[in-house]
Amino acid sequence: MKNTYIPFQMKVKKIYTESPDRTLKTFDLSYINEEDKFDFLPGQFCEFSILGKGESPFGIASSPTEEDILKFTVNRTGSVTNEIHYLQEGDIVGIRGPLGNWYPVEKFKGQDVVIIGGGFAFTTLRSLLVYMLEHRKDYGKITVIYGARNSDLFIYKDEIEEWEKRDDLTLHLTIDNPVKGWNKLTGFVPTVVKEVSLDPTSWCVVCGPPIMIKYTLPVLTEIGFPDEKIYTSLERRMKCGIGKCGRCNIGSKYVCIDGPVFSYEEIKKIPEAL
Amino acid sequence: MIKIKKSEFNKFIENLQKNYSVFAPVTDGKATAFKKIKSSDDINNKVLNTKRSPKEIFFPQSEVLFQYTEKGMEVPKREEKPFAIWGMRNCDTKSLLLLDKVFGEAHQMPKKDMYKDPYWKEKYDNCLVFNLACNEPLSTCFCNWFDGGPFDKTGSDIFVVETDDSFIFEAVSDKGKKFLTDCKTTENESDKEIKKIEKLKETAESFLAEKEDISSLFSKTKEIWDEPIWDEIAAKCVNCGACTFVCPTCHCFDVSDEGKGNKGKRIRLWDSCMFAIFTKEASGHNPRSQSTQRVRQRVMHKYNYFMDNYDEHLCTGCGRCVVVCPTNLDIREVIKKILNYKNEE
Repeated sequence: MKNTYIPFQMKVKKIYTESPDRTLKTFDLSYINEEDKFDFLPGQFCEFSILGKGESPFGIASSPTEEDILKFTVNRTGSVTNEIHYLQEGDIVGIRGPLGNWYPVEKFKGQDVVIIGGGFAFTTLRSLLVYMLEHRKDYGKITVIYGARNSDLFIYKDEIEEWEKRDDLTLHLTIDNPVKGWNKLTGFVPTVVKEVSLDPTSWCVVCGPPIMIKYTLPVLTEIGFPDEKIYTSLERRMKCGIGKCGRCNIGSKYVCIDGPVFSYEEIKKIPEAL
Repeated sequence: MIKIKKSEFNKFIENLQKNYSVFAPVTDGKATAFKKIKSSDDINNKVLNTKRSPKEIFFPQSEVLFQYTEKGMEVPKREEKPFAIWGMRNCDTKSLLLLDKVFGEAHQMPKKDMYKDPYWKEKYDNCLVFNLACNEPLSTCFCNWFDGGPFDKTGSDIFVVETDDSFIFEAVSDKGKKFLTDCKTTENESDKEIKKIEKLKETAESFLAEKEDISSLFSKTKEIWDEPIWDEIAAKCVNCGACTFVCPTCHCFDVSDEGKGNKGKRIRLWDSCMFAIFTKEASGHNPRSQSTQRVRQRVMHKYNYFMDNYDEHLCTGCGRCVVVCPTNLDIREVIKKILNYKNEE
């Protein structure tokens, strides 16, 4: 029997500092043993551990099409994330995964997709976006709305620049308040979602801080998106990742195995989901 | 059915110890709990519901998941002998079946094996459970609400009744049958014995309070999820978590590391949904920051959510939480309150 509590080792291949205040860093990990390589789909997560310091769950930010690496973006906020931020290229870390379910990319085939993200939660959305761009002809119109408190706090800035140049992708960037020199959108994500005209026959994926998700979903309903075509990813303080430790229990669901991806239709049936 | 005279009990336990690590209720000046015994002298057959539940035999309060050094990670080696548990009561044997649904059975997911808990399975799968009938149930016992009873055999391998001079054994599972067949120091039962057991059972059942009909508990809990009744229920609770620690079915845990440099271990420890920090995320966001939300979570998990997944309540009516609660928050009263709640519509 496989012991799912034991992590396998990966090497820190490259570290990117995402924000000038250094609170956001991205880590590209490379496999040490070929047999550890796993298949996954956008939306799944891993438990990232530093032995002696602990383990925390993070969404996989790389796309399954980026075969040799796993990418995680980590906000420095607690004891484990602090230690992760101290890592240097070449260091060894522990990984358990892939855990949880994924965005329904199969259902999206041939359809228009709207991606709505906030702050450093853009991780699994990057995975989804890169995956869809890699299989571009499988999908219809792709629209991205991405908001951050200020322009420094967008992650993957170099890639955003590349995405902006593409003509097969509509990208709306927004920051909370107007700032001199910022010539894109301003305002909170729910407001922007209302302003840019979205086609409610599209599929929609929302991921961001809990407060953003809570206020964005009703706006989508208002626009006319049906509940079963809206997907979001929940976060909880998950430990085991396999439905045992009980920390992510909401209603009869466990975010770690029944989620983290849920449709709005499912969410409405789960008490305390939002 | 076989019979062992009380005078032969020591020898029986000695024989059992040859092939098993034997656990039994032990009173050693601290709280009565199931512990590994050295000899039958350690066993307390008089105690009914041990203060700590026997879940800790299979799922200890702290358990090393693995040790690590610069050479890699290693799961600690376990005892070679399988476990035999002597003196479990029906509420506890049933709790093992419920916990096995969480730890042993895989959730309905692909790649099922990855969702099984190897630490639980290793201990539970080969164990032998002796269920000792309760001749005099306690005032806090309410196993009958959950279709259990002082002489119910669910969850056991061997059912044992203590009479004035003997222990009478009955095989329940195949494992139990095999054990009793292999047992040599035995004597067959008589009609007299069967009558004795019937009488004891009748007396035992008379000790229990009247059975509450909880058939509507599942639907009722769902109905009142958003009602102010939860504030009323939670008003007394100080979120100490004692109920979750003594509960034979509560299984939430935390995982933490202890180590320095290249050496250390990863440990899992019991945790409790009663604690605010249980769900508090590093960002400061806490989906269950209010005491009322946490009390509701415990009650709902026991009588609604688990039922939704497994068709059973995550409670066996052992009454331990009733005994330990420092504010006398009696779960039986909570259930009655929920069942009798009238929506004001």
